[in-house]
This record gives sequence, structure tokens and C-alpha cells, in this order.
Amino acid sequence: MPGEPRPDAALGLDGVPHTGEGISPDGHLIEPQAEDFRSASLVPRDPNWFKNAVFYEALVRAFSDADGDGTGDLRGLASRLDYLEWLGIDCLWLPPFYASPLRDGGYDISDFRAVLPEFGSVEDFVYLLDEAHRRGIRVVTDLVLNHTSDAHPWFQQSRRDPDGPYGDFYVWSDDDQRYADARIIFVDTETSNWTYDPVRGQFYWHRFFSHQPDLNYENPEVQEAMLEVLRFWLDLGIDGFRLDAVPYLFEEEGTNCENLPRTHEFLKRCRKVVDDEYPGRVLLAEANQWPADVVAYFGDDAIGGDECHMAFHFPLMPRIFMAVRRESRFPISEILSQTPEIPSGCQWGIFLRNHDELTLEMVTDDERDYMYTEYAKDPRMKANIGIRRRLAPLLENDRNQQELFTAMLLSLPGSPVLYYGDEIGMGDNIWLGDRDAVRTPMQWTPDRNAGFSQCDPNRIYLPAISDPVYGYQAINVEAQLNNSSSLLSWTRRMIEVRKQHPAFGLGSFTELGSSNPSVLAFLRRLASDEGTEDIVVCVNNLSRFPQPVELDLSEHQGCAPVELTGGVQFPTVGELPYLLTLPGHGFYWFQIVRTVDDGEAR
Amino acid sequence: MSEVPEPSELVSGLVAGLPGWLPNQRWFAGKDRPVLAVRPLRSTVLHDGDPLLVHVMVEVEQQDRREPYQLLVGDRHELPDHLRSSWIGPGYEASADSDATAPLLDLIAGNSRVDTLVFETEPGVQLETGLRARPITSEQSNTSLVFGHQYILKLFRRLTPGPNPDLVRHRALHAVGCEHIAEPLGSITGELAGQPTTLGMLQPFVADAVDGWAMATTSVRDLMAEADLHADEVGGDFAAEAHRLGHAVGAVHSDLDRALGHEQLGPERLAGVVAAMQRRLDAVLTSVPELGAYEAELRAAFDKAVDAEESITVQHVHGDLHLGQVLRTVSGWLLIDFEGEPAAPAEDRVALHSPLRDVAGMLRSFDYAAHQLLVGQPEDHQLARRAMEWSRRNRDAFCDGYAEVATRSVGDPRGHATLLRAFELDKAVYEVAYEHANRPEWLTVPLSSIARITTEGDHQ
Repeated sequence: MPGEPRPDAALGLDGVPHTGEGISPDGHLIEPQAEDFRSASLVPRDPNWFKNAVFYEALVRAFSDADGDGTGDLRGLASRLDYLEWLGIDCLWLPPFYASPLRDGGYDISDFRAVLPEFGSVEDFVYLLDEAHRRGIRVVTDLVLNHTSDAHPWFQQSRRDPDGPYGDFYVWSDDDQRYADARIIFVDTETSNWTYDPVRGQFYWHRFFSHQPDLNYENPEVQEAMLEVLRFWLDLGIDGFRLDAVPYLFEEEGTNCENLPRTHEFLKRCRKVVDDEYPGRVLLAEANQWPADVVAYFGDDAIGGDECHMAFHFPLMPRIFMAVRRESRFPISEILSQTPEIPSGCQWGIFLRNHDELTLEMVTDDERDYMYTEYAKDPRMKANIGIRRRLAPLLENDRNQQELFTAMLLSLPGSPVLYYGDEIGMGDNIWLGDRDAVRTPMQWTPDRNAGFSQCDPNRIYLPAISDPVYGYQAINVEAQLNNSSSLLSWTRRMIEVRKQHPAFGLGSFTELGSSNPSVLAFLRRLASDEGTEDIVVCVNNLSRFPQPVELDLSEHQGCAPVELTGGVQFPTVGELPYLLTLPGHGFYWFQIVRTVDDGEAR
Repeated sequence: MSEVPEPSELVSGLVAGLPGWLPNQRWFAGKDRPVLAVRPLRSTVLHDGDPLLVHVMVEVEQQDRREPYQLLVGDRHELPDHLRSSWIGPGYEASADSDATAPLLDLIAGNSRVDTLVFETEPGVQLETGLRARPITSEQSNTSLVFGHQYILKLFRRLTPGPNPDLVRHRALHAVGCEHIAEPLGSITGELAGQPTTLGMLQPFVADAVDGWAMATTSVRDLMAEADLHADEVGGDFAAEAHRLGHAVGAVHSDLDRALGHEQLGPERLAGVVAAMQRRLDAVLTSVPELGAYEAELRAAFDKAVDAEESITVQHVHGDLHLGQVLRTVSGWLLIDFEGEPAAPAEDRVALHSPLRDVAGMLRSFDYAAHQLLVGQPEDHQLARRAMEWSRRNRDAFCDGYAEVATRSVGDPRGHATLLRAFELDKAVYEVAYEHANRPEWLTVPLSSIARITTEGDHQ
């Protein structure tokens, strides 16, 4: 078709391998293949690694800039892996770094097989992966299955050539009346789930923005093409994917087009590819719904789960904040009691903060009930109602509360996900607007640009935080590394303690009720194959005031709690309820240890 | 104790020791006058072994009063140290002995009959057995044992011939599917004065529950720590909980009405209700002179209530509702202990009352929770205002929640302002007497409430 633009014209990827560089005689786009690149070495295989891993979310753009252009990149990130290893991180989670017009934070992917040039190249990614794996750190990234950017060469071909190989890659219709029961997610921006394309002369379906056409999963070739995308990255050595917006893959007339059985069927296919071809790699579902509904994305309970290995537990996070504001454990107790058992091969991901997030102003119950309604809605609605602040400023920079929150994150059921910078108590810049407020450069040193980049400070993608309290001169990794009482050193120590006790990751969870509503106490328990048990008791004072609590530890009569950070043995558990006192916002982690006759812990 | 006496010897020796022992028991209701004699009514060996467990009913004579009580008596070859404080001589009070009380659950689970004692499960209930028991230490007028983490068995201490209203009301509420009670699972019945009499009730134990008083005072503490924030601005705001609590109480009243019906009382009977309030006032005035300053206003408020309503609806109610009688669980609020005011005569505890009496009890309790941190502290105008703010906000939220599901005859309790105020004042008069006798430094709490309610005019 002479005179027409090339399908890859919108990508801006000239000079690097990308989709649509050429077209085969039968009309198929030439796409980069994994064999074209070196692949990374792997971490020794452990099928359950994700169940007790500590995750760390880092934004490539914000972490470290190697080439001095003012924007973080994959090489820069790789140069900071020693830090993450020192901190005790097991897995790095990277939000999308694919080629993208960046109209939706990189979730609008224009080429699944190329890296956004400002972040580097596929080779750079393999280098990062290799370096991470050498340190025992795994890497997962986001993958959007539901849609592509409208700049994706697939879409460009689909709109121009309805009869070509990509003609049915998207959901086209002559009118905009089908699937009328599907709600519109971005009500602020979109008026319909259908948009008219003047090139093809038809409407296309999109659950999110109109520049993000939905892929047509009815078409077996789309399913195959997306499985090939998974294989591409898995072949390069990636350890897993966080699957974005999974509930919407299929459409069906007369339904709300969410969570349809065929969507689950496709996830099972993805899982089978992972299990058969790449055992030990994981799929993590992003389904921002109530835990009871999210459980469906773990798949068949009877066989330990056959869809996603992990899913984020979304409602827990705001309730941790609410419970501390309320000085009452009930917001946390309630949501945990409503959280069903998950299949044996699965794990929750839990977090306090991440790059985009729900409002934390849910401290009255009216608002909490409102939250119930909100959670029934869409995963990405949260962007429309989100207040994005970092942990430290949310807690008014109160060190005790930061420690209490982190201690709960590291001890509640699920694998914890830390958000970059929170380990040093970084602040945010609300004047940047809420999207960028929590995405400022990682603060490494008190030097220029916080040690993030050597560039001219005017060139940096976002200015480093520079206010007197949270500014990089005061809050940075270098200063805290040299201070054994810093938040960073404390966080590292707690991660280390967590790793010494597999019950934190793998153990059962039992809340220990007490008559004090301000104290959240629970017991984690794991039986080993050798017949021993790892029993950990965590006691958290959600109140700013000192509190007593009497715990029913009668099951462990004769045993002694040993405090985990210092190893101090507490009095032996007797016939009566076990009395503890906690300072305001204080917490304890104990291991329950049998004592021999002389009362010494064994 | 090398020789364990025969059960009959044990009991006859025991009754001799009881007059000295009983007045020191928290649950003993007759501490106001000396015990003249204790007579055995019936004793039943529940477990013949070591430890021995005997169920004993005795009659306690005190001046003009003769009241029956139940005891669990144990005996052992060797008494462990932790049971020494339970020693009566001979024998010991066995409710604190986990080894001795274990058979009680098994007897209920097995629907057993021992002599005249009937142990039974509620229809369709299957119980787990073989669990160890421990006593709950917070109980006031009865004794409760927790089995494992699953069940709680309440043993009524002072007995009234006939079925206990606590069990009757729990059964009725459960039958209509009430969500705000712990399901009755089983019971123990004995014979007293020729009538089958409830001795105990088994329910699921809600291990992670917190009582309403602890919840409310946590919120008040939070408010008092914020000098510059109002009650609706602090993170620890309780209004949403108070609203749901009101909803729970309203639902229980509706369910009791649905299950057990109601009666409509005409003006005469209403006058009788008010006359009882006046009589209580008469009695308290003689012992607490501080109350005299409010006598005229109190009498006027009571008198006004006689004409305030054409008739009142009475039904089964809780009877002694306050924040300590409600439990916050992870699934919402539960009401416990439906046996009425422990100090009230038996006929009053089974009688029908206006649901507004329960509402008034809870409203008074909010007032107490709001002011409890101020007791014994130097006067602080700012904190006193905060306390009032908290009390008003949560009393209103409670009434809002209540009105959502109340019976049609009651609706929004604030719609019966005059009668509700009379019930509240009556309760406050009772509190005056109680505080005067037990905690004089708290006397200002009900007295200042009375001052406020009688000067504020209509209910606020």
C-alpha cells in the first residue's frame, strides 16, 4: 500500500529491534524474537520463592540515572542492586518499561517486545536481570493483557486492513450498541466503551481510555500472540508478571463483561505455559476487588491453584491506616476475617504504599461503606479517586508509627511489597500533582540531584524533594547507611528477622483476641517437615497511648516468648492470661519457645 | 486432705463453712446484711473421682430473705496452689478448677440426666467435647466458664424458680434469626421449689470480642488528647459505631417483639410505671442528700411523663442495657445477658417493659463513657465541653441507628422525648444511689447529668 504510513511509524523505535520493522509476504508483522538477544542466567529454582519473598517496587524512571539524561534507566537501576541486596530484597517489581506513548503511565504499550528508549534497550534489561539474578534477586514486571496502545502496529494494521492477519485482533463493530451492560470505567474521560475509527469506518471496543483498544480474545491468534509475548520475556529470564486489569479480557452480550468464565480459561492457559515451560516463574493478578472475589483468580483450590500465583490484597492497606487513626483493631480484624483461605500454591501480596493508590481519608464508617461500593468497581478507578502520598508524610513523619506500620506489613499474612524510598522515610511533593507527587527521584546522597543523576538539575524528569524536613540533604541513603539507628538500618534489621522465621511467609494466621480494642495481636505458625514448629506472636499497639493487653496463650503454657529483635526471654506462659504492656504505637514480635525445667528457653 | 469425705459428709460440712465464705464472693447478691444460715437444698455428684465434682444448691437465709444459690464444689487428694483461694472447707469452689469442670460440657453434649439435673443441647446442635475450661474473671453476678476457645457456659448464681429470662429471650431471638446475639447452644436445668429452673446456658464464645465500654472509652481518650479538634473531627470518632450499635439494639427489640409479642398499656398502667420512679426517688432521697437540690425538677419530669403518651407499648426487652452489655465482634455488635437488672426483684426481671427503658440505659452509658476520664480530675471546662460534645454526638448517632429498624410503636426514640427523659432520669437516680454507696467520687457524673437533663427541657 504505497503512500500509507508504515505500521511502526508511531513507535519512535528506529534503530532498535521492534515490532513491524518488516512485513512477511502473508502480511504478518516481523517481531523481535528472544533468540535475537542474550538471555539472563536464572536464580536457582524454588517453586515457593514468592511465598516468603520481600518485594520492592522501583520505578525505572525514578531510581537511578546512568546516562545522565535526567531520567532513570535500566542500567542505573542495575547499578543499585548492591543496595537492594544489602537491604534484603528478594524480588524487584518494575512497573511497565515497554515502548509506549506514555499517555497512561506506560500501561499503554505500543510494542510488547521493545523497551522505552529513554530507559534503555532489551539488552539493558537482560543485563539488569543477569545482575539481579547473580545477587539472588528476582525481577517481575507488569504486563497488560487486555489492550494495547492505539500506536501498536497491530492496531495500525487492524484499522487499515480489516481482511489482513490483524483484522480481528481488536473488537470492531458497525455500531456502538453492543455490550451495553458493561460500565464505563473512566467516567471522567470517556462517554462510551466504543470509539469510531475513521480509518476503518467502524467502532472499536475499549474498557479503558479510547487510545487503548481492547484486544479481541475471541480470536485464537490473539491468544497465541499474547502467549508469545509471555514467552519472549520468560525466555529472556524474567521471573514473572503482574497481570494488569485481568477481569476484562472477554466480552459477552448480556453480562457486565467482567470476570467471565472464558477470561479464567485464558488465565489457566497462561498458567499452563508457565508451569510447563518456565516452572518457578509467577503470575500476579491485579484485580482490585474484595478478597472473596479475588480468590477466583487463584483458580482451582483442589489442585493448589491453576491461575495466578499471587494477587494483591487491596482493601487491607487503607484499613491499616484507618485502624491506627481509630486506635481500634477492628478495621484490620474485619477485613482479615472476611479474607477466605487461598489455594495452597498461592500467596497474597500486601503493601502500604505503591505508585498509585486509594484514598486514605477513609476514616469514618460512612466512607468505609462507600469503599465497599468502590471496591466493586474497577481496578483502575482508583486513579480517579486517589490521593497519593508517601508513608512518612501520611504519618506526619512519626518514627514510631513508621516502624509500627512497617512491622505490620512485614508480619501480616502475605508477601510484603515495599515502595522505593519508604525505607528511608522519603517525602512527597504534592505541588507536582498527585500523579507525580510520589514518583520523585530516589534520594541516594546529599549531592546534586540527590545522587540520582549527574545531569543539569534543570534537566531532571522531576525535581528531587528539597524541603527542610524530607529534602535529600536530610533524608538520603548514604546518611542512613552510616547510622545504625536510622529508619533504613531498622528496616533492614526487621527484614532480616523476618527471614529467620518462615512462619511470617508460610505460616497460618490466627488473630489472638483480647479485651483491648487498641491492640492487634496474632499468631503465625508453621510446622516443619521435621516435626518442629515455628510459632511467632506479633502484638501491635495501634494507639498513641501506652496499653496493657492480656493474651490468651494458654495453648502455650510452659513456653516462653522470646523477643525477636533482641533475643530477650520474657516470663513463661502460665495458667493465667499473659499480660504485656506496650508503649504508644509499640509492637513486639516474639517466638514461642519451649522451656526446659529450669525455665531456660530451649 | 488425705481422706476425701463422702459427698454427703462433704456437703454437710460445707454448709457450715458457707456463711463465712459467701459474703466474700463477687457474685453474692446479699452483701448488705449478715448471712444467718445456709441450708442444703439438693446436691448431685456430677463426677465421682479425683477431682470430685458436686453440684450443690443451697438456700441462704438473711434476716427476712431466703434465696437459693448454686455452687460447684470439688474435692481432691491434693489441692493445687492456684486453687487454695477457692477453699471453703471442706471442699473448694470448683469453677476455677479446669480438671473438675471439664465434664460439664460433655454432659451437655451427651444430653445427659444426672439425678434431677437435665443437661441438654438446643435442637440440632452438635458440640465438640473434651475441651478444658477456664473461668472468666470479669463476670459480676454470675460465673462463666470458657471451654477451649469455642464455648462459654454461664452458671447463674442466685437462682429464681422457673426458666431464666436470659435463656428464654435468647431462644426466642434465635428462633426468629436475630443476628445480634450469640446463639444458645445448650442448657442445664434443675428442680427448684418444684419447678424446672434454668441453672446454666451454653453459647459460642466470641474470643475476639471487645465490650462497648472499652470501644467507647478508647474513642473518648482520643478526643481528650486533641485540644483543638471537635468530636466529629478526630480519627477516633465513634459515631459510626454508635450508629451501628443503635441499629443492633433496634433490631433486637424488633426481633423480641416479633418473637414474643407486646402489650399496650393504658394511662393507668403508665401511671404505675411513673409511680415506681417516684418511689425510687423517695428511697434515694433519704440516703443521698445531694439529690435534694433536684427533687422538684425530678418529680415534675416524672409527672409530665404520665400525660405525655396516651399509652405505652411494653414487650420483652434486655432490661439492663449499657455499653458493658454489648460486644463488638468482627461481624458487628452483639447484645449479651438478657436477664434484667441483677438487683431487681425476680418479677421485674421477667416483666414486660417499654423498649425506651433500654434506650435510656444506653444513652446514660454514653454519658458515663464521655465523662469517665474527668472523674477525680481537677475541673477543666474545655474537657467537660468535649465530653458533652462526644456524648451528644454518639447519643444522636445511636438514636439514628435505632430508628432505622425500630418497632413501629417506638420509631425514633427522640420522638418520645418526655417519656425517654423520665426513663433516663430514673436510671440516673438509680446511679446516684449506686455511686453514693460504692464510688462516691463518681457521684458527680449522674448528678450533673440530672442537673443538665432537668434544665435542658426537652430531650436533646
